Amino acid sequence: MLRTVNRVLIAIAGLVLLVLGGAVLAVGLGVRPPSWWIHDGRHDVLLSDAERTHWRDAGWWWPTVIAALAVLVLIALWWLTAVLRRRRLAELLVDTGDGEGALLRGRALENVLAGEAGQLEGVAHARARLTGGRTAPEARLQLELEPHVDPGTALYHLAAESLSHARNSAGLAAFPAEVRMKAVKHRAERVS
Amino acid sequence: MSEPQGSEGTTQRLPVIEKAFGDDLDQGPPPAAADEGAREGRFWSARRVPAAIVAVLVLAVAGVFLYDIAAVRANRPAMRWRRELARQLAERPLDDIWVLVGAGVAAALGLWLIVLAVTPGLRGVLPMRRPQADVRAGLHRDAAALVLRDRAMEVAGVQSVRVRMRRRRAGVFALSHFRELDDVQADLDATLGEAVRGMGLARPPALTVHVRRPGRKR
Repeated sequence: MLRTVNRVLIAIAGLVLLVLGGAVLAVGLGVRPPSWWIHDGRHDVLLSDAERTHWRDAGWWWPTVIAALAVLVLIALWWLTAVLRRRRLAELLVDTGDGEGALLRGRALENVLAGEAGQLEGVAHARARLTGGRTAPEARLQLELEPHVDPGTALYHLAAESLSHARNSAGLAAFPAEVRMKAVKHRAERVS
Repeated sequence: MSEPQGSEGTTQRLPVIEKAFGDDLDQGPPPAAADEGAREGRFWSARRVPAAIVAVLVLAVAGVFLYDIAAVRANRPAMRWRRELARQLAERPLDDIWVLVGAGVAAALGLWLIVLAVTPGLRGVLPMRRPQADVRAGLHRDAAALVLRDRAMEVAGVQSVRVRMRRRRAGVFALSHFRELDDVQADLDATLGEAVRGMGLARPPALTVHVRRPGRKR
């Protein structure tokens, strides 16, 4: 979600810069602009006084400018907070099956998940974080692998054991996970 | 692994999203050997850093303009920079060198932002095959390189190894100080082929192995 927003807004900003910069560059280098374009030749100025003050006496001009700037400020503010805030699931709802529910602390499940993943064969260190909603949590894990283990095998065990345990114990229908695997840095040495 | 195994020949396989599974942990041997098929997509970066930078800049510029325009509306004098800006805008012709430089920089920056917005990024993460339908995994490229190096070091006769890991190709350069080079090469090919398969990557990199004697000097 945030990823899409980021990319769309970045693309819009890029497009604006590209169009403005490219247009000025093209006209400045001698391309003939179409007649309706604000610049009519390479000796024209960027923004003449007449152009700048053209609408100034109209009653709607300043309210429009101020409103547009205010909207821009609000969007930027919202965007910045959304980017800076690290979303983390505080608690999730466990369906106990008897019509009631229990709340499980997100941190607790994170710790269990990381602990159990860290116990797996060949995993030196594991970190887990929960995102998503409280009835549909998602996990993001980061594993550091020891030199001797095959990443594919480690991933298989992680999915078959740690993730399944977590999913079953929290009574979740689905528990999507994203896993990143790194390796413990070490020197090259002969094992055998 | 919950897909049917028999349809290797078909080119397109629709991504089946299985909602109602729950017992697929019983099945499947440890990572099945090279079964191609389901195309695993790249990881897409959230582009947090460029987003934060763009947001801060937009916020600052729009905020300052908003403040100053509101101040002028409230019958206070405009700040000096805005009058200066208006003057410069009205005086500089388009073929002024600084205008051209500024426009070029803006256009390049805009292009760069668009590239950032449409490319996946995270080139250092290689997607892995999914062990279950809802588990996505990625292996960092330097981790993959370390695995290859460690496996290569286990081959008898290998003195040192350098691994060059790209996204589609892996180059292994080994120095061998005893045994026949051909034997070492054959062993390395076998061992590393096994190692690449053991990584469980969605798109296993093409492997090239070079073995040399350690030269005196080069």
